[in-house]
Amino acid sequence: MHQTIPQQIVIDCTNLTTREINQKLKALASEGISTKLLNPAGRHNLAVGITQNIIISIAGPVGYYCGGLSDNINIEVFGDCGWSVGENLMSGNITIHGNASANAAASAHGGKICILGNAGPRAGISLKGATLIVSGNVGYGSAFMMQQGCMIVCGDAGANLADSIYEGAIFVGGEINSLGADAKLELMNDTDWQLLEQELSAFNISARDYNFKKVICAKRLYHFKAKDWGNY
Amino acid sequence: MDSEKQVLKTSSTYTPEAIAAIQERAELGRYMIRGYGAFRNVPRFDDLVFLTTSLTRLPLEGYREKCTTKTLIGTRYAQRPMELEIPITIAGMSFGALSYNAKVALGRAATLLGTSTTTGDGGMLPAEREASSKLVYQCLPSRYGFNPTDLKKADAIEIVVGQGAKPGGGGLLLGQKVNKVVAGMRTLPEGVDQRSPCRHPDWIGPDDLRIKIEELREATEWEIPIYVKMGATRVKDDVKLAVKAGADAIVLDGMEGGTAATQSIFQEHAGIPTLPALVQAVEALQEIGVYGEVQLVISGGIRSGPDVAKALALGADAVSLGTATLIAMGCNKPVYIEDYHKLGTEPYHCHHCHTGMCPVGITTQDAELMQRLPIDEATTYVANYLQSLVMEVQSLARACGKSDVHNLEREDLVALTLEASAMAKLPLAGTDFIMGQS
Repeated sequence: MHQTIPQQIVIDCTNLTTREINQKLKALASEGISTKLLNPAGRHNLAVGITQNIIISIAGPVGYYCGGLSDNINIEVFGDCGWSVGENLMSGNITIHGNASANAAASAHGGKICILGNAGPRAGISLKGATLIVSGNVGYGSAFMMQQGCMIVCGDAGANLADSIYEGAIFVGGEINSLGADAKLELMNDTDWQLLEQELSAFNISARDYNFKKVICAKRLYHFKAKDWGNY
Repeated sequence: MDSEKQVLKTSSTYTPEAIAAIQERAELGRYMIRGYGAFRNVPRFDDLVFLTTSLTRLPLEGYREKCTTKTLIGTRYAQRPMELEIPITIAGMSFGALSYNAKVALGRAATLLGTSTTTGDGGMLPAEREASSKLVYQCLPSRYGFNPTDLKKADAIEIVVGQGAKPGGGGLLLGQKVNKVVAGMRTLPEGVDQRSPCRHPDWIGPDDLRIKIEELREATEWEIPIYVKMGATRVKDDVKLAVKAGADAIVLDGMEGGTAATQSIFQEHAGIPTLPALVQAVEALQEIGVYGEVQLVISGGIRSGPDVAKALALGADAVSLGTATLIAMGCNKPVYIEDYHKLGTEPYHCHHCHTGMCPVGITTQDAELMQRLPIDEATTYVANYLQSLVMEVQSLARACGKSDVHNLEREDLVALTLEASAMAKLPLAGTDFIMGQS
């Protein structure tokens, strides 16, 4: 009897250019082979623009745009990541076992980006439908101009959370420094708790251990009126 | 008493326009919003003239001899540079600001002339992709509708840092234009007053831009060119920074450049005119030794063959037209006059793109108004217009003795005004005097 062993290819980034690494990843993605990257050494633009299903495990820290402009991918990073992880992601999963710098999940349309650590400023900026989960804190200006989607922050949120948000929801388990223009607190309901339990149980986090608050758009500034100028 | 009436005094400070502006603000309690670019008079290409041939140089036969117009953009890093038949492209204007018919007509007209058109702030319309043989996909701060699937369909990418009508500011799409389709493409609630961001969500300065450009190249296999579009302000530094960040081409938009809606203070009081912007951009490219390697596309109020020819002579590789192509298809045409009146304006004066009530169906999302712009007719008008511009450029080039429009050069031009002389760094006509240099 044949035993199906999932194929995994190991790529050492040390002596390869970013172009060579991404070309290899795209070729492997087209064959559905999962991959492990060694020695990423904080390199920018790893695994960007991949639009075929692939499982990538990265052993170490990555730079800017890890998994950016991708669709239908699964990436796990065992290390910290630089700016704009999962930028413009369409679908799939990106999990960071470490901290994320600024703009995590910027403008992501779909899929799930999980930071098992803290995220820097502007996390979830312009979020367009994806889910961003941060087990720690997020910095100032997070969820700025968020358009759709869901952001779950177990820790604290910095100043001006959800400024000029259009739609979507942000759940914060810790303290909120301040809300931005047109953001408001909303009472948590059972569906919200169910969502949080479901999303966080995958990381062995119990939602009920946190005092989650929900932030949504107040929709008072949807229309541009002169009398509102003081709100900006 | 009668003689006093005949010499009514007008304040140069409180002109009728200034009085109207104060009183409009007094009523509205806010800044004014409108379409189009700068209305004020600025030094422009019209202030230059060609020194065509006589005895010192020979002309080419104006109606017969070949004068080529092929134009390449993006030869620096891209494997597939943009190959254009003419040195005129169509600028980015969004579906949302423009109607579906207008977008499709622009695509078809560009295809007929072998040139490119550009998406806009709102994503790639499938019909626009189909209509356009060469399509530039804009990557804007809003990222509305931006996705890797459409990215891979693009023939070039244009990272928009700013535009001439509102450098440093964002655009507006008022709620009346954000219908179900437009809202869906932009992931926005229907009917919301959409105020576009002016800062990219995922990078901030030129050092980040370098990494952003690498990301886009990796995502598109280094195949297609990446342009960086900027509004003209601190041109020399900005051009050098964009080149350092890795741009294949610079698209520079002067203050005459149009918009569908922004604050009139930006249109009139921010940025510099297209003429000096072009001259500074060429100097910047020359100073860092990449002139010819990094192409330069100039835009902002270009609307005639002579404008195009002068831009090429001053060192642009191509020009980009926005507003002028809309005028070619019927913007401000004296038809449906009662609808201009409803907007409080007249044909030739309309700049009410922001209202979504465009009397000629161009800058609207209203199905009934859009019917007034049949795609075939609009396509023909734009194609005819572009063709006539190219013919004018060729005529001037031949008269200057050039067998390729790109051979037009600074030496072929002189300035008619001191301002144009100073800005273009060209001699005043009939003199050896260059304002600020001599």
